[in-house]
Amino acid sequence: MEIWRLPISASQRGKLISAGYTSLSSLSSISSSDLARELKVSESEAMNILKVASHSRGSETSNASCSIVEGAQSAWDMLHDEESLMHITTSSADLDNILGGGIHCKEVTEIGGVPGIGKTQLGIQVAVNVQIPNDFGGLGGKAIYIDTEGSFMVERAFQIAEACIEDMSEYNRFLRKDFQECKIKMLPQDILENIFYFRICSYTEQIALINYLDKFLSEHKDVKVIVVDSVTFHFRQDFDDMALRTRVLSGMALKLMNLAKRFSLAVVLLNQVTTKHTEASFQLALALVTVLDLCSVTMLSR
Amino acid sequence: MARLANLETEYPVLDSTVRNFCASHGIFSVEDFLIHDLYMLAAFAEQNNSSERLKEGIAQVLSIIDDMHQPWLNGMELLEDAKRNKHVFPTGIQGIDLLLGGGIRVGQLTELVGPSSSGKTQVCLRTASNVARNHLVLYLDTGNSFSPQRIAYFLGKTINPSSAQAKNQFLQKVMSNISCHSVFDMFAMFDVLHQLESYLRCQDGRGGCQMRLLIVDSISSLISPVLGSSSTQGRALMTSAGYLLKKLAHQHNLAVLIINHTVGGEGGYSKPALGDSWKCIPHSRLFLSCDRGSNNYNVSILRHPSMASGKAARFVI
Repeated sequence: MEIWRLPISASQRGKLISAGYTSLSSLSSISSSDLARELKVSESEAMNILKVASHSRGSETSNASCSIVEGAQSAWDMLHDEESLMHITTSSADLDNILGGGIHCKEVTEIGGVPGIGKTQLGIQVAVNVQIPNDFGGLGGKAIYIDTEGSFMVERAFQIAEACIEDMSEYNRFLRKDFQECKIKMLPQDILENIFYFRICSYTEQIALINYLDKFLSEHKDVKVIVVDSVTFHFRQDFDDMALRTRVLSGMALKLMNLAKRFSLAVVLLNQVTTKHTEASFQLALALVTVLDLCSVTMLSR
Repeated sequence: MARLANLETEYPVLDSTVRNFCASHGIFSVEDFLIHDLYMLAAFAEQNNSSERLKEGIAQVLSIIDDMHQPWLNGMELLEDAKRNKHVFPTGIQGIDLLLGGGIRVGQLTELVGPSSSGKTQVCLRTASNVARNHLVLYLDTGNSFSPQRIAYFLGKTINPSSAQAKNQFLQKVMSNISCHSVFDMFAMFDVLHQLESYLRCQDGRGGCQMRLLIVDSISSLISPVLGSSSTQGRALMTSAGYLLKKLAHQHNLAVLIINHTVGGEGGYSKPALGDSWKCIPHSRLFLSCDRGSNNYNVSILRHPSMASGKAARFVI
């Protein structure tokens, strides 16, 4: 029964099946007002159902083009795309080395560590470094900072922004050796202006925000990094239904990967650690790691 | 299957009297017809006024249904089909190929199960690079784990580079045979499989380089968000995806490789995810694990149509 495959609500599906519409072709020749009358739903709902059905059917038309599926890319093209993707530096040469040049775009990077080790500082640094202009080897993009713990300090971000600008002018002086022309026109205030800050107080807000980011990113195409600090904080306590927690987290991880891929941006997740008992020894492990099975994961330790 | 109302234009026998009679028994479509008890229906039709009309209508619907099933095949035809079409593709990893008696088989759904970092994606990339030399490959990626550099590395190991340009040309030719598409939810996956079905139907008619391998990495991350909630839609989506993949594999001579992860079971052992309903869907299931801190991997057979389960082997990537 092809109606199972349509992304519509359970009650709409039930009504369609009990009225006899079990395949997509049966929905092809009916108008929305007739459908509304048969199913006893509003006309706008009926129009929605028909739109979803025709979209699914539209992808059935024969594909004469060379790609097997719409939107697929050949491995050869992907190889060359990856070579031209830029990285976001973390301002630490060793860390950049481990990450293969910096934080990669189109990928989700998870960074974890014990409390007090510097994860939030790293998050703020990345949100500032993404704004380094193209001339200086950066991406020149904006940042989204999602704060779940309340650990973002604006004064600290201001200090980091000032230091970054000083670094850039130092580099400038070193390379170009003229003071007048290439004075950095950026001010710390500009850098702070380009960080979009969201404060989250519960897990429902977190899920709602990630769903909203789709629309936000279509309007702000120059955002190049999303920092979530920290991603599992609201999921660790007060969750009664463990199965629901797993489902919600894996759905959220998929949505973040989707955003990273579609908008070519980097997603940085900061996570806490927990101790895991394996083979009679204790080990530090990232919280809820079995759920978030992501790309590159880095553990910070002293 | 169509509603009876829509069939009236083609088969005028199914006019409003027949349809009203059927509607009074809760039959609106051809499918409802199949579920109903036909003897009871015929008995009711006898007692009705226009019984001739109704019996003609019922006979018409039955003949429509007769056209819809797959053709019968006998053993010899199946054997012919197996010998001619259902080849075996080597994965390129010696341990696995020896264990499976050649490699993964066309027409079957092979599942790789294992905890994270047990080498499942690496095995898929290696198989893709091997099969792509002569056939087209489609890689459906749900976790951004497809790595073109790794494919280039595997291919680079297998040829002797006479010149950098020849190596580049070889890489280009083989890697253009691999298409990668990212899917992040179950409905998008069904869209893709739908498009693939129509592509394969056109492909069967013409010659040239044909698609022979479909990899889904990983099906469990698509199904887990919808499985287990109070509605049964999750399980329905899972089983219909499984059947669709098996149908594509058999009808269009594809080898399908899917990846599943593990969850904790009783006694601390890890067991494959997606539960008992999924257990019987793949034709073969292989369990992968990795020795800590080294490049040695273990593979054991959980289920296979022609080999005993429990056989194990080691391999290195």
